[in-house]
Amino acid sequence: MSENLKRYICLGCGFLYDEALGLPEHGIAPGTRWADIPENWACPDCFTPKHLFQMVEIPYAAGEPHPPRVGPFVAPPEPALRVI
Amino acid sequence: MSFVLRAGERGYNKLQSTGPLASYISGHPEAVLTRHSSFNFGPYQAGRAGFGRLRVFGDEVFSGPGCGYNIHRHHNFIICAFVFQGELTHINTVGNIDQLTSGDYYVFSAGSGGKHCEVNVKNDDMHAIYMWFLPDQLLLPPSYRRNHFDALANRNQLVMLVGNADGALRLSQDVTVSRLSSDTAMALDYVPRSASHGVYVFVLEGDVQCDDVALARRDSSGIWGAERINLRTGPQETDLMIVETAP
Repeated sequence: MSENLKRYICLGCGFLYDEALGLPEHGIAPGTRWADIPENWACPDCFTPKHLFQMVEIPYAAGEPHPPRVGPFVAPPEPALRVI
Repeated sequence: MSFVLRAGERGYNKLQSTGPLASYISGHPEAVLTRHSSFNFGPYQAGRAGFGRLRVFGDEVFSGPGCGYNIHRHHNFIICAFVFQGELTHINTVGNIDQLTSGDYYVFSAGSGGKHCEVNVKNDDMHAIYMWFLPDQLLLPPSYRRNHFDALANRNQLVMLVGNADGALRLSQDVTVSRLSSDTAMALDYVPRSASHGVYVFVLEGDVQCDDVALARRDSSGIWGAERINLRTGPQETDLMIVETAP
């Protein structure tokens, strides 16, 4: 499946959209196809419009991509009530 | 496809530090940044998309003290600046604060994320050419290197500034950038690494005969499929930038 997923680079700043990774921090789930992103979507970094992204077939550098640093919010476990 | 791009056919944008671009362009209130683009970039989208791995070729002048680009983020692109006049202050989040004058140039690879600021803190205009290249790997560690082209010591010689040559800055892509600064009539054959490599010839100053095409100041030509390119300069001061790129 991942062979068919594509990567798109913003021609305004180089921001990368990888269909496999999506942009969970911007509300786009992993696996979301480029075609399914609204046409009025813009680069989150530089606001370049979607149509000025270009599909690229460039491999990742070693060790990339890192897991996203900002993931979906997960509530920390409630601290156990301690009775002193 | 090969092409000739005359100076006046390039994209032209005048970016002012007042109004809607005030957060992008520094030097409020009187700074003005002019950019002649050989390829589509920013508001200019009526031309060519790029040339091989080269996506941006901006011939830019920062006028007015403080004029430049406020600090902003990039990924992936390998950004090179070649300074020809004035002084450029470059600040980046790799950790560099650098000042570049005529002949100086840098390679800033934004990779997995890096911010930079480009600013002219002097009263005199700053003239530079900015080139952006696609990298051969995504999200590389960000890096910055700088170097100097000595026009006097290298007079009448074609010198590789970027690429795999002694004294050149290397970058993570199959491209080279060379410069010829001449003050005598010269003829030379530029031989690309392979017939599949493209060559973009940009005349900074002077007149150049590029095969059978006469190129004047700020004219350029992108050539694909040539085994060699014959370049002839006139006796006057001539300055030429040559970018060679994989398709």
